[in-house]
Amino acid sequence: MIAVELRKLFRRPRTWATIAVLNALPVLVAVLVRLTDLVPRPGEGPPFLSAVLTNGSLFPLAALAIVLPLFLPIAVAVVAGDSVAGEAQAGTLRYLLVRPAGRTLLLVAKLVAVVAFVLVTVLVVAAVGYVVGTTLFDAQPLTAATGGTSVSGTGLTQQELVGRTLTAIGYVVVSMLGVAAFGLFFSTLTDSPLAAALGALAVLVASSLLFTLDAASPIAPYLPTRYWLAFVDLFRDPILWRDVVRGLALQGVYVGVLLAAAWANFTTKDVTS
Amino acid sequence: MAARAHGAIRRWAVVGLLVATLLVLPSLVGALPADVGDAPAAELRTAALASADVGFSGYAVSAGGLALPVSDRLTDVADLFSDRTLMRVWWRGPTEHRVDVVTAAGETDVHRDPAGTWTWDFEAGTATRGVPASLALPTAPDLLPSSLGRRLLSEAHDDELSRTGARRIAGREAQGLRLVPSDAASSVGRVDLWLDPASGLPLQVEVYAEGAEHAALDTRFLDLDLGDPPSRVLAFTPPAEARVLTAPDTDDLIAQAEQRAPLVALPSQLAGLTRRTLDGVPPAVGVYGRGITLLAVAPVPPRVAGGLDTTLRASPDAVVDAQGVRVAAGPLGLMLVERPGRTAYVLTGTVSLDALAEAARRLPGVPT
Repeated sequence: MIAVELRKLFRRPRTWATIAVLNALPVLVAVLVRLTDLVPRPGEGPPFLSAVLTNGSLFPLAALAIVLPLFLPIAVAVVAGDSVAGEAQAGTLRYLLVRPAGRTLLLVAKLVAVVAFVLVTVLVVAAVGYVVGTTLFDAQPLTAATGGTSVSGTGLTQQELVGRTLTAIGYVVVSMLGVAAFGLFFSTLTDSPLAAALGALAVLVASSLLFTLDAASPIAPYLPTRYWLAFVDLFRDPILWRDVVRGLALQGVYVGVLLAAAWANFTTKDVTS
Repeated sequence: MAARAHGAIRRWAVVGLLVATLLVLPSLVGALPADVGDAPAAELRTAALASADVGFSGYAVSAGGLALPVSDRLTDVADLFSDRTLMRVWWRGPTEHRVDVVTAAGETDVHRDPAGTWTWDFEAGTATRGVPASLALPTAPDLLPSSLGRRLLSEAHDDELSRTGARRIAGREAQGLRLVPSDAASSVGRVDLWLDPASGLPLQVEVYAEGAEHAALDTRFLDLDLGDPPSRVLAFTPPAEARVLTAPDTDDLIAQAEQRAPLVALPSQLAGLTRRTLDGVPPAVGVYGRGITLLAVAPVPPRVAGGLDTTLRASPDAVVDAQGVRVAAGPLGLMLVERPGRTAYVLTGTVSLDALAEAARRLPGVPT
């Protein structure tokens, strides 16, 4: 069932159209920065963007930081919100459930498909970012000894830089799991994919807004978007694991609770469409 | 149908139980009791003052609610006391440590070695070398609970100290020590310090203004590991692409200011506080008081006073009267006494606005 769901997702033209649109923004930013030589002042703008003029190979990270706050979660919410509600709206859900595999497995298969979408999207954004960054900007020669400079000003070997970039990509994928779980849960509540996607986005907008309020600081550690930008901590030296570990645990809790809620709701739901 | 409804209730009950467990867990961990201990206050203070050479690595957060009425040139200092500052620290001793101020998109690191400091600013791409100065503006390392706690306790008298309870900080049991300044002029209501009994390190410091319910400054460790950090973490070599700068020589700047400063003989006592000398403070500036009750008085040329006057008057809490303009930011008071065409005075310190006004009346050339 998982293979079927994966095939279905990646055969849809709109999946690839979404990924293409996601890449358009970082590429546009790169072209504008190249043409104007204007990068955000320190302390403003997405992380790493100020540094790409001197080292283009950092652009994959800047590209991820550009799509992470809004574009990527929107795409994930749309895909996840569509997963069950889309089938219900198209009238194909009850045929899916005729198969003996059961509703729990269908939910798992849907989640795996969304995770696969996130992984492919993030990898494509990073790869396109690398190609664009090294083409448009000066890239430091990548030898085994000189990979780049960490946020703390120490040298990183190429091996370290590649390892940390891959870890960062993995972390961004995990960060999106919470959004996917919200989308999937709402998708089992309604027959409208749009309502499910908007529900997941409403949670994210609320979380991002609360995060900026000092008055909400007691609940800040529990907000789903709280640790999203912690991937920057992987490029400090020594690596600051605190927020990364908390971010992983928090996403785990959200995925666990929301999947349990989706399961409780979906396995006992009357499916009529 | 009934069986399905029953199944639904059972499944939702499982989900409810899971959520309830997750919600209760953090408060259960937070409610773990801490041992109050029976060490007297003076002993805790001695242990804290002896902790400067205790090696540790940690992560600390300082939150300040002090809106300092300062000009654009001192925004770094103002941010330090009004914002949340996250700091990573590796400490081997007062002249061998590294403190990183961590922000979402970068960091500013101060590497201290016996000969001076390297300051690395990631986003600006600069590495700045500075030499140790006897008098300097506050920087992030000064706000570490360990450094600030030792500084605040350094001149406290035993009768100003008392024990308070205990709490858990950074996973350790910390014992409470309360400092209530005895000087009537003080604007600091109390300072609550929480110390690690084994090492003496202050783990949290809360400074309360007189009569305030919330701390004007709260700095504490979130993580702490005792033991000397490896020296390779402390070392710093500017990266090849960095712009290497030299910090301005503070002692030289002070000497220049000293030459231009108006000569005024300041009284030996102001607002009940006695004049004292401090390392690096030029003789033209009068420093009064002791411990956490300090008052500094500096005569300034009239043209320098003009800019400060505008900044102070712009503050919504400014008190303006015939004597001049005065403002309080939490426990920190600031006053400007202007005399048309003549030397003006700047008074600042951890004293009440009334004490500032009283001190101003006793300055040479100020009408009483």
